[in-house]
Formats: sequence, C-alpha cells, structure tokens
Amino acid sequence: MGYGLRVIGICVLCAVSAAVCTLSATERTILIGPKTIGRAWKDNIVLEARHFADAQAGDVLTVYNDHAKRTAQGAFQNPTNWQGVAPEYAYFGINGPFRMTLTDDIIRIAREHGIAIGGHDYRITQVTLSNATDYKETIVWRGPSVMMKNDWSVNAEVPGKAFASLRQGDAIRFHISKTQAGAAMKLSDMTWNVLDPSVDGVPVGGDNYTWYVTDQAPILKLQLAGNTMNTAMRVGGKGYCLDKIGLVQFIGEISEDYSQAQRAPKEYVLQAGEIFHGEKQFPNDWNGNLRITAAPFQKCTENDVLIISYVIDPNAEAAGITPQLSLREGRNWTEITGAPEPIYYRLDGNDVVYVFDAVALDQVKTRGFILTGVGFTLTKIELISAQ
Amino acid sequence: MRNKILLISMLFICMSCKGNEVPEPQPTVSYTLCNSQATAETQQLWDVLCAQYGKKAVSGVVANIDWNTREAENVYQWTGKYPALNVFDFINIHASKDVNPQGWLDYSDMTPVTDWFNAGGIVGCMWHWQVPANNGTNMTCSPGNAPGETSFDASKINDPNSDEYKRMVKDIDQVAGYLKKMQKLGIPVIWRPLHEAAGNSTEFVGGKAWFWWGAKGAEVYKQLWRFMYDRLVNYHKLNNLIWVWTSQINDDEWYPGADVVDVVGRDNYYALQYPLAKEYKLLSTTYPNKLITLAECGNGDDVDMSLWSDIWAEGSRWSWFMTWYDYNYNNGTSDEHQFAGEAWWNNAFSCGFVLTRDEVKRLMK
Repeated sequence: MGYGLRVIGICVLCAVSAAVCTLSATERTILIGPKTIGRAWKDNIVLEARHFADAQAGDVLTVYNDHAKRTAQGAFQNPTNWQGVAPEYAYFGINGPFRMTLTDDIIRIAREHGIAIGGHDYRITQVTLSNATDYKETIVWRGPSVMMKNDWSVNAEVPGKAFASLRQGDAIRFHISKTQAGAAMKLSDMTWNVLDPSVDGVPVGGDNYTWYVTDQAPILKLQLAGNTMNTAMRVGGKGYCLDKIGLVQFIGEISEDYSQAQRAPKEYVLQAGEIFHGEKQFPNDWNGNLRITAAPFQKCTENDVLIISYVIDPNAEAAGITPQLSLREGRNWTEITGAPEPIYYRLDGNDVVYVFDAVALDQVKTRGFILTGVGFTLTKIELISAQ
Repeated sequence: MRNKILLISMLFICMSCKGNEVPEPQPTVSYTLCNSQATAETQQLWDVLCAQYGKKAVSGVVANIDWNTREAENVYQWTGKYPALNVFDFINIHASKDVNPQGWLDYSDMTPVTDWFNAGGIVGCMWHWQVPANNGTNMTCSPGNAPGETSFDASKINDPNSDEYKRMVKDIDQVAGYLKKMQKLGIPVIWRPLHEAAGNSTEFVGGKAWFWWGAKGAEVYKQLWRFMYDRLVNYHKLNNLIWVWTSQINDDEWYPGADVVDVVGRDNYYALQYPLAKEYKLLSTTYPNKLITLAECGNGDDVDMSLWSDIWAEGSRWSWFMTWYDYNYNNGTSDEHQFAGEAWWNNAFSCGFVLTRDEVKRLMK
C-alpha cells in the first residue's frame, strides 16, 4: 500500500469513526423534574418543540416518574387542544416509567407545539428521548392474524416460548391492522387475569401498540408457562386485528449531558395561609389562567383578605402589553364582585390586595375563583383572616 | 343566673344561625307519603325518617356497582359500625341470571337484601337504567349518536306500538318483580329511579342531560316518571316504595309533581359545606313539604368532601346521605377510597349528628 493510499485509508477510518460516534445510540434527557401531576387532570408540563427538531419516527419518549398512585394515569397531549397526540396516548395506566413511540404525525405536532405530558396522581422526575436505533425488535409470534370483535369475545393465545427471553425494561410490540375507532386491547395471563392494570382495555390505534414491561410481576406471570407451547398470554380487546408480536430491547447508552435539558418550574410546599405558591406564567395572549377551588374559603368571613404576589414580565412593556389581572367567578367567568363587566387590576409591582365583601365572599365560598391576566408571573396567593 | 344562661343560649342560637342562615325543618309541616296504600313497614320507616329529619342524618352507602353491601363492609372495617342505609342499583338487570343464562349476577336472589334488612338496615334501590347502545352490542345510559351511546327515545313512552315503549315496560316490569319480592318479605324500599335527569342543562348555556331519560326534555321526562309511578304503584301494587326525585338545582320544570314524589334529593360531588348548605336551603324552600336528602355525595375531581361535622355546622339538615362506591378500592387496586374514606366516616360517626344502622334499628322498634 502506498503512502497516499494509507493517508486516504486513515482518513476514511476517521470519518467512519466520527460517523459512528455521532450516530452512537444514546438516551438523552430533555426535561429535568420534579413536576407533580396532581389529581383531576389539572396539571401538565409542555415539552418544548426544540427537543423534537431532529426526531424521527420510531424514536421513543420516556417519562420516568415516582409517587404514582395505583390508579394514576398518564397522557401525551397536543398542547393546542389537549387531545391525545394519538388515541392510545389520550390516557393510560402508569406502572413505572411510561413511553411513547413517535410517529410522523406525532413529530409534526411536537415540532410545531411541543408535547404536553398530563394525567393525574404521579410526579415526573425526568423525561428522555432516545433514537429508534437504540431498540432492537425480534418478532416472536407471527399469527395467523386474529380479528378482535367489538364484543370483546375474541382472544389470541400466545405460547410461553414467545416470552422466554423477555426481561424487565423490555417492551412487547403488538403489530395491528384494521384498527377501528374505539379500539382497545386487553392482555391477560394464562388464568385470564389481566397482566397489569395498564393493559386492561388500553386504547390502541395506528399500526402497533408497544407495552413497556417495567415491572417484574407480569414477566413472572408470562414465564410461568415456561419455554413451551402452553398459552402464556391472551391478547384480547375489540376493534383491531392482531398480526404479529415482537420483543423490543434497548441496546443504547444513557447520556449524562443535561446541557440542553428543559427544567421544570420550581415546586413549593404550601405554607399555612398560602393557597398558591409557584411560578405560573400569564403570557401576553390572555391564555394564562389559574383556577382556585372553593375549598380554602369554606370558613372565610367578610373582610378576609387575598394577597396576590407576582413578578411583572420584563418584556411586557416592549411588547406593548399592560400587565394586569382579573378575578372571576369559578364557573361562569363572571366578575367576582358581581359587577356586569370584568374589573382589571393594573399591575405596578406592588401586591394586589383584595378584601372580600359579601358578594365576592359568597362567590368564592360557592365555586372558588379564576385568576386571569397578562404580562406577569404569579408567585403567591395568600389568604389572611380578618379575625 | 337562669336569665344569664338563657341569654347565653339565645346568643349561641343566633350565632349558629349565621352564615347560610338555613331554615330548620318546620315541626308544623306534615310530611306524608304520596301513596296512601303504603304498607305498614313503609309507613313506619317513613315516620322514623320524618322524626329524625333536622335532628340527625341517616348514614348511607351505595352498593359496589350493583347487588351487594361491599361499601357498607368498608365502613364497618373503618369504624366498627355499619351505615344505616344500603342502596342497591338495578344497573345490570339485563345480566341477571333469571333473564339471561349468560348473566353474571342474580337480582332474583334476595339474599344480599334480606341479610341487610334483617340486620336492621334500611334498603334503598336506584336504577342506572341501561338500554341497548347504537352499536347493538353494549348497554348504556348515555344519550347520543356515537356507537357506544344510545339514541333511545324516551318520548316513545307515549307510543305503545313502539319498540322503545315495549322495552321500557319490559324493564320496568322486571324491576317490579324484584321490588315485589321485597314487598312480600316486608321490606320497605327507598326508591330513586330516573335520577339527575336535567343533567347540567339548567346550570349553564350548552349544558345537557347525561342520561337518556332526560335527553328529550323535561316534559317527556315527567311523563316517563308518572308512567313508571303508575305502573309500579297502581298496576303492580307496589306499596313499599318511598319515591325520591333527584334535583339538579334550578330544575323545577323537571319536578314530576308533589303527588308522585316523597323526597327531593340532590347528588353533589363538589360537596363542600357552604355550597351544600346553599343547595339545602334552596331545595327546602322550593319544596317545603318534602324531605330533602343528599342522595349521592363524595369527593370530587377538584375538592374533597367537607367533613360531616362541618356540613352540619354550616346548617345543612339533609335527611340522609349516601356516599359513592370506589371500584378500584374494592378491587384492591387502589389504597385510598376515592369518595369517602376512613377519616371521613370516623368523623361522621363521632360528630353526634349521624345515625348508624344499630341506632336506626332501635328507632324502628
């Protein structure tokens, strides 16, 4: 080999190495929590659109979480209309980390608006994005295809040998077709008991449903059948055709570079007298609002005082916005004082102090109130008893 | 000294009248059953309810979905006492083994009811009346045109030749069979059919009925109520029923009439003491000759229900209350009761304004 050829060879090697390094499979953190998703579907956090600039179909979003109640549910939503980004992601049970496999349609939403993570009764600790290439799928069941009737009467029986290599953290991918509106999947074990609450009638759509097995219990149930032809799993449900089943394993690495990660707003523990403490933005488009229930006001009396603290948006003036807020009745958005037209309080940097008269007191004790406004970040609401 | 005590007492009374200033039930008002042929047992239960009205509330729970006393057992586990009232639900009569060989429960087996009654409990029945969904497969109460909803037309109660009429009569007659068994066993029943008919149609613009029996409006609803009353009372000779109509607040046009309603109920899952007292005041003013009851209650999506001691202190004097069931808790898949848990029930039984099953049993003697 001549010198020139050797140089070319080294260059090619370097280029290949660089390419391999660039493409090396990693799971990277895009959101650092904690972010509490409380009761009643009221909380959410929007993953910024920038995270999805280079996303590709098949990439996987993983939401690590803790403090989940056993009835907790998650959701991946379009922040513009709060609908699920796909039917199967409108709501689902939570048992450990939960994931979403991105499709072209979901990426389109994500790049334009970001993706909201919602639900109830759990806390997000971290959200990551990993490449499709980080996962390897092995088909373990090839049918024949089974059409699930609408009366939930049909089940496909999958033998134990299909799950012999299944390990905690793997996923089972169900390839489906002929999916109808309202399609749902139910996964049962050999004794007809549901394998996990998260797959007890879970909505399914598109061409596959991926169940990430984050708990050891269902694996034990599946592998009780042994590496045999005995039935280990019964795949049921309605409104879809089951064609194939694959086992999906993560083969990538986890990145420890958090430089591009989004931070969840700081969370505070409410102190006595506080009914809100946090950082709630009220942007310049009047889309910001905060609903306070009637619960904190049940024992209030006339002349009790509400103190509203905030920080004015430094960009508001440049944007031609006058920072202001308004207090509305908790159901119909009418003015809390009973006045026919809303009253707007211009914000000058000092706290807003609101004293309850009889009308406002009745309103807040009955239905709570809604705080709306523009051009500031709400930091605290305190309730002071006149007595 | 005596004058001073009297003065202090009067001051206390005035203070307790503050807040919502809810009127106490008037002792001069005579609460009477609509059905003059009511059985002696039914009249006796009615007399006890009337005598306690304004003094103490009768405690109650609903069954876990349909035909059991599972929730009452929860309360007993938490407090060592049973609630006085257990309300069964005819929600799954289509799956009752006496009419459906593939059914999964048997309403014709009266064991859950007789066990409860014989232990001193008050028996209630409600009815999430399911009819075939538009997809022809499911059963549902929800009106609408979607496959899982039903376009079942309640106005067909006026058309004896229609399929809907025949279906409604068949279902009412099936329920009548179970209620008649109870009558033969000497069991009076607090009967609450066709509940929450107005939905939220009277609450805000765009609101609507959420059960098919309200979907065709107030007039049709009242016709259906009166048809059912006539079918059960006059045709089937059921004289063991205390009829409870459920108000959605400001829905007087849906009220079937004083001659076919014994009790006015309210279902509330924003069950905070202040709004509850306002609603009690409104209902007791609108229907002064009827007992007023909190027919369903529990924690809601947004708020936890106020403690019963606070509800009572605010001035509400509901005749009875009934907390809702938590399927997940009963199924072992949730650690805390969604609607009313241990702390709430312990407060209720210790506040001095709630009757347990044992206490009602003594009053019934």
